Amino acid sequence: MLEQQLINGLTLGLIYALIAVGYTMVYGVIQLINFAHGEIYMLGAFFCVTLITAAGLPFYVAMLMAVICCALCGILLDIIAYRPLRRAPRLAALITAIGMSIFLQNLALIIWGSRSKPFPRASLPAYLSEQALVMGQVGLTWLQLFIFAVAIGMMVALFLVIHKTRTGTAMRALAQNRTAAALMGINVNAVISFTFALGSAMGAVAGILVAVYYNTLYPTMGYTAGVKAFAAAVLGGIGSVPGAMVGGVVLGVAEALGAGYVSSLYRDGVAYAVMIAVIVLRPSGILGRAAIDKA
Amino acid sequence: MRLKSWKTTLVFVCAVVLAGAPALAQTVKIGVAAPFTGPAASYGENIKSGVETKVAELNAAGGINGMPVEAVYFDELCDPKEAATVAPRIVRDRAIVGVVGHVCSSAHLAALPTYVRVGIPVISPTATNVTIGDQNADRAGRVWSFRNVYLDDYQGQFLARYAKEVLGLARIAVFYENNDYGIGLKDAFLKEAAAVGLAVVGSEGYVKGASDFTPQLTKLRGGNPDGLFISGYYNEGALIAAQAANLGMKVVKFGADGLDNVDYIQLGGAAADNTYMTVPFLAAAAPEQAKAFIRTFEEKYRRDLDWMSANAYDAVGLFAAALAAVGPDREKIRDYLAGIDGPEKAYEGITGPTYFNAKGDPEKMAFVKMVQDGRFTAAPRQMR
Repeated sequence: MLEQQLINGLTLGLIYALIAVGYTMVYGVIQLINFAHGEIYMLGAFFCVTLITAAGLPFYVAMLMAVICCALCGILLDIIAYRPLRRAPRLAALITAIGMSIFLQNLALIIWGSRSKPFPRASLPAYLSEQALVMGQVGLTWLQLFIFAVAIGMMVALFLVIHKTRTGTAMRALAQNRTAAALMGINVNAVISFTFALGSAMGAVAGILVAVYYNTLYPTMGYTAGVKAFAAAVLGGIGSVPGAMVGGVVLGVAEALGAGYVSSLYRDGVAYAVMIAVIVLRPSGILGRAAIDKA
Repeated sequence: MRLKSWKTTLVFVCAVVLAGAPALAQTVKIGVAAPFTGPAASYGENIKSGVETKVAELNAAGGINGMPVEAVYFDELCDPKEAATVAPRIVRDRAIVGVVGHVCSSAHLAALPTYVRVGIPVISPTATNVTIGDQNADRAGRVWSFRNVYLDDYQGQFLARYAKEVLGLARIAVFYENNDYGIGLKDAFLKEAAAVGLAVVGSEGYVKGASDFTPQLTKLRGGNPDGLFISGYYNEGALIAAQAANLGMKVVKFGADGLDNVDYIQLGGAAADNTYMTVPFLAAAAPEQAKAFIRTFEEKYRRDLDWMSANAYDAVGLFAAALAAVGPDREKIRDYLAGIDGPEKAYEGITGPTYFNAKGDPEKMAFVKMVQDGRFTAAPRQMR
């Protein structure tokens, strides 16, 4: 049973990690907690399903298109909601983020209705719903392997983008000191937009994977996922990309083990208790660096 | 002197207006409290279509004793907090003579104190929680909240016997939603299971709105069950069925009325097959007087008639019968409903005869339906 619970937790955790990365990157660059990120995750799932049902696209194409759409939404979100407030107090941007979250959620409610929708299973490649391997009591589906592969692939790609490209270098420079980065000739707004696009794309992938895995999507799905992923980002050390990945996996596994061994009704409680314990012992999170306050 | 005559005129005008007011406000209003938005919105839609159909029917026949009927809808999201704020708004409108609602037991329990205190008759077409019958009377012992749906304990007992005697199951895993509905149903099931000698190999809970159930299912799977009792609603129920299948559990699923929604099949996919559920109403086995309604309903809404719509239709029907007999007075309507206390006085609705016991609870039978090849059908064997 332990092995199965670890697989359950890992699947959940990798999805949290994908979302958490979006929170942490944006925070790293502009010190804003983008509460509308959960809604981008929800939009990813809805775009993908709409492209499949309305436009009749095959699954992989629809997934790619939905991710691109969400990346554009992320850029738009930054331009419309956050860019005008760049020099405003941080609290103003934070409130705007909450406002955008409520706005997007209700927009989705109007467009797609409040009922839960199933993922169009007919469009999925057939192998995804089969068992990949069964060892006694432990089972692993191709879908879970697909989630592992996509999530880990995306994170490796993200790592390469941040550490091996000029834009990635610019992002890291911006995270260290915005004024100095601007003085070095970095186009600050373009880099911030790129960060939003990247984070939103990761969030959209997570949303699609969740919709496929649970075969359900609904306009309020972004809220809980957003809160959990935010917790994962804080747990890992907000602002640290590897931290968000580790935080997501730790949270997911804690939840599965909590439900399996402590009490099924306290699964979230167990997950958050782990988070609080880490924060108390290491206030900057698992991989976060002790912050030197620039102000 | 002039001032005095002016005052007299004013008093006179006021008196005329006040006296005329009841004659002008002839429309009788019935409040409908249900979730019309949020995660349980499809329940609200079901209730609304039943109410709408009955109201249209009453008005087409010239109203009740000449008074047109109007349904006023209140959205409470199936949320106890919302229900508690909606209830005062309903009772404040003196034109509302009765309430059809609430849908969820927890919302109903939260709104109940207001209805009882102010004194407005309520008929819930769907709230099946057992404790409602203990909290619906005022100090004088008068019951204000009725329902035309059977109770959780009845469904729970029925399911335990059905699982053992008809389905022939031996080892049951119980998965319940952590709210009034899920727990009430589960407790009644466990009690009856112990009485009839049905083994329960595990009991786990989940929170409404969750989407990952694999940790709990993994734990339940360890008990090697042949039946899975899903004590909750269709949204989560469908995901539970699907995830149980993914974990390789080969179990017969069964549950109560909360699973009965087309979305259960939509979301559950192939895993929804082989699920049994108790329902208060089954179109395939409906009495003769329901046939016309079923036809109108299916033409108008282009979907199969569900039990919630049928019960909501009958709830409005009960109010209409009361209004026709005693007129638009909250207290008299209550007395009329409380007077329907035996099978010989029963209201003959489309869901069969309805009458209430001293607690406002009805005695109605359960039907069993099942999912087969992606469709709802009547279960091959019913149990009386």
